[in-house]
Amino acid sequence: MKRAVFVLSSCICSLLISFVVYSCASAQADPKTHTVEIKDMKFVPESITVNKGDTIIWINRDIMPHDVTEETSKAWTSSVIPAGGSWKMTVTEAADYYCSIHVVMKGKIVLN
Amino acid sequence: MKNFKKLVYSSMIALAFITVFNIDSFAQNPKLTDPEIASVAVTANQIDIDYAVIAKEKSKNAEVLKFAETMTNDHKAVIAQAVALVTRLKVTPKGNAVSQKLLSDAAETGKALRAKSGKAFDKAYIDNEVAYHKAVIAAVSGLLIPQSQNAELKGLLEKVLPALNTHLAHAEMVQKDLK
Repeated sequence: MKRAVFVLSSCICSLLISFVVYSCASAQADPKTHTVEIKDMKFVPESITVNKGDTIIWINRDIMPHDVTEETSKAWTSSVIPAGGSWKMTVTEAADYYCSIHVVMKGKIVLN
Repeated sequence: MKNFKKLVYSSMIALAFITVFNIDSFAQNPKLTDPEIASVAVTANQIDIDYAVIAKEKSKNAEVLKFAETMTNDHKAVIAQAVALVTRLKVTPKGNAVSQKLLSDAAETGKALRAKSGKAFDKAYIDNEVAYHKAVIAAVSGLLIPQSQNAELKGLLEKVLPALNTHLAHAEMVQKDLK
């Protein structure tokens, strides 16, 4: 009898632990995809707040080429995004970025 | 006293520069038709591409060369859009007093730029880019957009305006760095 109670308790505990682990994983939320439009020589929105692991897609709506380049150490760059083109990146850290073609165009990635 | 002399000297240089690079092609505020506006728009863009060609030939400054490359690519993109639009609208750009004045002023400016070299060239080129973009922005917003009859032509000019403002800000940044 004691053994049966022990086995049953163990099963319930395992189920509870599984549920808690699953809930925590779900609470971190699935990665999302955000959009930044490049239009009228601006990044719109200029500042975007995302979770680590989310993806940002930049869409060039202007008639001239642009790029998206990390500003401080040029750690990453999209290379040239032609008019009508797009580029996406999975975010691993916050960053200030700019268009290295039109150096006065600036944007910011903020992490939650 | 030294500072005063320096100030007088700088003012004389500035005055000489303004005299050489006087941009008054748009000053008379004439009435323009859509084919004439298309001609002015294409001419104004081509002139800045031509200035960039001179810069690429004469400058060794990386920042100036990068700016010139951006001007070449952006103004080519604008001309391509304008050509596509007038082709679609079956409009033939028509030369006029404004586009002719732009060309004659540009020929004079080009000549003055070619006569310079080194840092003096870089400064003259960028100073001209600042002045030229200011003049073109004023003309596009105060003359070409208000007088455009065709909505698509007006839309294209409105779309170009933010690019011109960005070019001006970029030129002013390079101008500051050259000082």
